Amino acid sequence: MTVRIEVIAAPGCGKCAGAQGELRAIAASVLGEDRLIWREVSVLEELDYAVSLGVLSMPAIAVNGELKFSSLPTPEQFRTLLTTLEAG
Amino acid sequence: MYTIGKIASLAGVSPDTLRYYEKEHLIAPASKTGAGYRLYNDEAVRRIRFIKTAQHCGFSLSDIQALLTLKQAERACCRDVRSLAIEKKLHIAHKLRALQAMSRALDELIRGCEGGAAPTDECPILAALENSQHEVS
Repeated sequence: MTVRIEVIAAPGCGKCAGAQGELRAIAASVLGEDRLIWREVSVLEELDYAVSLGVLSMPAIAVNGELKFSSLPTPEQFRTLLTTLEAG
Repeated sequence: MYTIGKIASLAGVSPDTLRYYEKEHLIAPASKTGAGYRLYNDEAVRRIRFIKTAQHCGFSLSDIQALLTLKQAERACCRDVRSLAIEKKLHIAHKLRALQAMSRALDELIRGCEGGAAPTDECPILAALENSQHEVS
């Protein structure tokens, strides 16, 4: 089963861009590249979608269409979530 | 220098509002007279206009405090301010969505009631509200 991970951020967010590479690498190592759908969502271009997810602050992370982090998680927090997902 | 009454009238706010802004650390008098009356300078007029315009865009006083802090922070940049504005837009979009849901719920209630002269204990709107299965938080 594929896992869709979406990072909802404002375009040009420096701290988001920096952290995204690391988080994506963690996701690929836990889930495997072939199961990972990684999408960067611009909050300005997809405001309605961000609102429907319940995003109130940025960057936020949704997994399979469900808001999981309202701010940038630490690599450990992110790995823990993905591992739980794998176990479940 | 302006007294509180004069600057309030210049900026279109009440003296009480200015005292409240001061309590919230958004503005401070430049000095005080010997008798303790507040005196404000032109910078204060600009600050009050900034606050009013920001409020007009939906920013709360604590948001405005954050904006003013960013304005004075050496390491802050335009991107930080833009992020605050985008987050504010997200909050407003959430509120709009909630209001639209309320409006749809009201439409449904209104459709269910013809509004005749029947007594209120037969009113479909009151009955629907009374029998609602919604959880009360």
